[in-house]
Amino acid sequence: MQSHRLKLALPLAIFVALLVFAACSAPAAPPVVQTVVVEKVQTGAPVVQTQVVEKIQTSAPVVQTVVVQATAAPAQAPEAFVFGAQGEPVCLDPAVITDGISGRIINQVYEGLVKFDKDTTNPVPALAKSWTTSDDGKEWTFKLQEGVKFHDGTDFNADAVVKNFDYWGNTKNPQHDAQIKAGQTFEYYEAQFGGFDENSIIEKVEAVDPTTVKFTLRQPQGPFLNNLAMFVFVFASPTALEKYGVDTCKNPVGTGPYKFVEWKPNEQVTLDANADYWDKANAPKMNRVIVRNIPNNSARLLALAAGEINALEGMEPRDVAAIKDDPRFKLLLRPTNTTGYLAFNYNVKEFNDPKVRQAFAQAINKKAIVDALYGGTGLVAKELQPPSLWGYNPNITDWAYDTEAAKKLLADAGFANGLSEVTLNGKKVPLELWYMPVSRPYYPNPKDIGTAMAADLAKAGINVSLQTVDWATYLDRRAKGELPLYMLGWTGDNGDPDNFVCYFFCMSADDKPLSREGFVNDKELSDLLKKAASTIDKAERTKMYQESEQMLHDKILRVFIANNQPPLALGANVEGYIPNPTGTEYFNTVQVKAAQ
Amino acid sequence: MGRYLIKRSLTLILVLLGVSLLVFGFVRLIPGDPAVVMLGERATPESIERVRAQLGLDKPVYEQYLIFIANALRGDLGTSVLRQEPVTREILRRFPATIELAFGAMIVATFLGIPLGILSAVKRNSWFDASSMVVALTGVSMPIFWLGLMLIFLFAVTLHWLPSGARLDANAQYEPITNLVLLDSLLQANLALFAQGLRHLILPAVALATIPMAIIARMTRSSMLEVLNQDYVRTARAKGLKERSVILRHALRNALLPVITVVGLQVGILLSGAILTETVFSWPGIGRWLVDAIYARDYPIVQGVTLTIAIIFVLINLVVDILYTLVDPRVRLDA
Repeated sequence: MQSHRLKLALPLAIFVALLVFAACSAPAAPPVVQTVVVEKVQTGAPVVQTQVVEKIQTSAPVVQTVVVQATAAPAQAPEAFVFGAQGEPVCLDPAVITDGISGRIINQVYEGLVKFDKDTTNPVPALAKSWTTSDDGKEWTFKLQEGVKFHDGTDFNADAVVKNFDYWGNTKNPQHDAQIKAGQTFEYYEAQFGGFDENSIIEKVEAVDPTTVKFTLRQPQGPFLNNLAMFVFVFASPTALEKYGVDTCKNPVGTGPYKFVEWKPNEQVTLDANADYWDKANAPKMNRVIVRNIPNNSARLLALAAGEINALEGMEPRDVAAIKDDPRFKLLLRPTNTTGYLAFNYNVKEFNDPKVRQAFAQAINKKAIVDALYGGTGLVAKELQPPSLWGYNPNITDWAYDTEAAKKLLADAGFANGLSEVTLNGKKVPLELWYMPVSRPYYPNPKDIGTAMAADLAKAGINVSLQTVDWATYLDRRAKGELPLYMLGWTGDNGDPDNFVCYFFCMSADDKPLSREGFVNDKELSDLLKKAASTIDKAERTKMYQESEQMLHDKILRVFIANNQPPLALGANVEGYIPNPTGTEYFNTVQVKAAQ
Repeated sequence: MGRYLIKRSLTLILVLLGVSLLVFGFVRLIPGDPAVVMLGERATPESIERVRAQLGLDKPVYEQYLIFIANALRGDLGTSVLRQEPVTREILRRFPATIELAFGAMIVATFLGIPLGILSAVKRNSWFDASSMVVALTGVSMPIFWLGLMLIFLFAVTLHWLPSGARLDANAQYEPITNLVLLDSLLQANLALFAQGLRHLILPAVALATIPMAIIARMTRSSMLEVLNQDYVRTARAKGLKERSVILRHALRNALLPVITVVGLQVGILLSGAILTETVFSWPGIGRWLVDAIYARDYPIVQGVTLTIAIIFVLINLVVDILYTLVDPRVRLDA
């Protein structure tokens, strides 16, 4: 028996030693792999889901491989820039999409009248050379670039602009109708311009002459230019639109610096440089751009370390610090455009007392959460708008973290013994804090953040039970007003304050509270925001949005937790990558140099 | 045999009907609505209603099921919710990648597992036996996720021997015929492409093979041990046959019977393991597609893929049963 056990023990030891050796063959510490099992249990439902999330820490610098070539020829500069995306693009027809992965590819292939400048959300000329606005803000006249051609040879002119706007906003347009019948939605057009046909803010778009286009609006729209700069309002070749119809998704034809070559599902999208690109000063620097779909965060980082991709998005917070100090990589932080918050459901009776809300605001130690759980890319948030937006109010002082003050506020509100039960729609329910089951830019690890908040709240006498459910159900139940207290956030679409503040706090046309902001009923705020949305003067608008932030702060309508600057990792030889706050940058400036 | 096949085919139809009903019901039991997932944080009650109507989800469930079955019988598994693609066409396009991966893993698992099992049985209680069983045990207990990442770290990042994922290099030129890269490259007499495809296949195939390999090795070992104690093996030895001949001709053939069953059953493990392997290695197969579809509540894809997997599973079981007769002439397939 003794010898048999020994026989088993020795090979086991050797095998373990081999494994350890394999992992340690790099000169530094072995990578630490953590397996986190997140149990997602929805109470009262029969489904129990277990999601296994794997996290790998590549703190171990990998062996630096020096390829010694016999001929010692100088290394060739790579032909292609390969970007590692987190998932699959949905569709490459800008009119019908909302997802950023498609958006990033679309940004390289198509162009609109204006685009976002470098790392800001300021609209600058693209296919429009210049523009003028009438005094009442209802007429916009754009002068177009001359001699621009789509990738299929079709001329870009005022007529092409008119045809694209007709495709997006006219439900009787045959291509529009075909898309709707195929189950697509023109979601962003509806959201940004108020609807279709007569409901749209855009009354008509006319070609004055081949290089002049005139927009007539039904009412002035503050964020008009910012809306036009979004990746969805870019122009497809009218010839191609007619030819491909609903298959434009797979056949994008624009005027951009790169043109579409092929899309291999679940693998990659390949683009080639547009040799005839009109803007010679901004001509593409690479022959080819490849966007590869690598769903697993760790595998994507390993692909960068192996030199198979040149850049990536989507990193575990714990990997960020390691990348920062590794000379083989560059770490870029995207200017923040995203805010994570804790939302009150105003159908909960207790949350209608400002003292209770203030107790929440003062009980949570935001700074500790940001420092510990954002991998160094987070910022403490005190407003709904991130600091990069021009409606941000620099003069607001955040509620101080003060557990004692929070306790006292609760006592004043009649909860001297703490708060662990609330009244939702007249029914007593346990106070649940819902955290999202998925990582989003504003909350990279919602469970950890939720747990930290719950611990802070408990110190002040607020006892929450943490709950989650799968993402679809989460959003569904939140829209139905079933979650008393929940974590969620927002990432800006068009860089305009309206898109943050009005989206949540403008009430419906008939002044009803909306479900998406937890049924906040504040007409004063809503009126101010609606006024700001129809004002054109930027200075005036700035003042109004700053005032709205002051109101949000004073009334503590929500608790804003953090802004995040989503990290991007690049190979050390990648230059000219300028991350844009909107999350979809232009690749024409990107260059991959020969490896050192 | 003929009657047997007819009977089995009839059962097959019943099984598939049952599976389709279960899948159809279960997808809809998962809380969460495809419309909500599509709209994300931007979902409003009005937009959800509109999208639901567009997707036909506002119809009664039994009506949706009847439409699904009627179309499925004509080979039409519907259109995906998110990308509006015909599911049947997409399955045909993506399945070859999974087949290639599963086939590669099966080859690794059988061609390593069976010899390992034989040698362990023959050299019972030796160092070799102990070591190979430790390896087998580790293989069964190692999560594919972890193993996959370790393989990438070692062979792609550190040693630069093999690529970290995908089916082919990003710049590869490949015109699919059957969508099986290895087969197509041979058909096109493109050896460079074949080599590239093989290099990409090795790591995911090894990662996926570990569990089946371990199971096959252990099964072969115990089955061999049992057979080696049988009288006819002793007789064969007593006749003065060479040990090699005793093992391979007399013992192995009998020992393989339960192993074949196990190999057949591994298909289920391979297909479910493929889901994880495909995610780690960015492999564009059906498993990853299924996972994405479940998260997006893309009902037609989930239904279509599950049904396809069920068909394959049932067919492979049938093949295994038929293989029995070839290995063991005593087994008769009677109706």
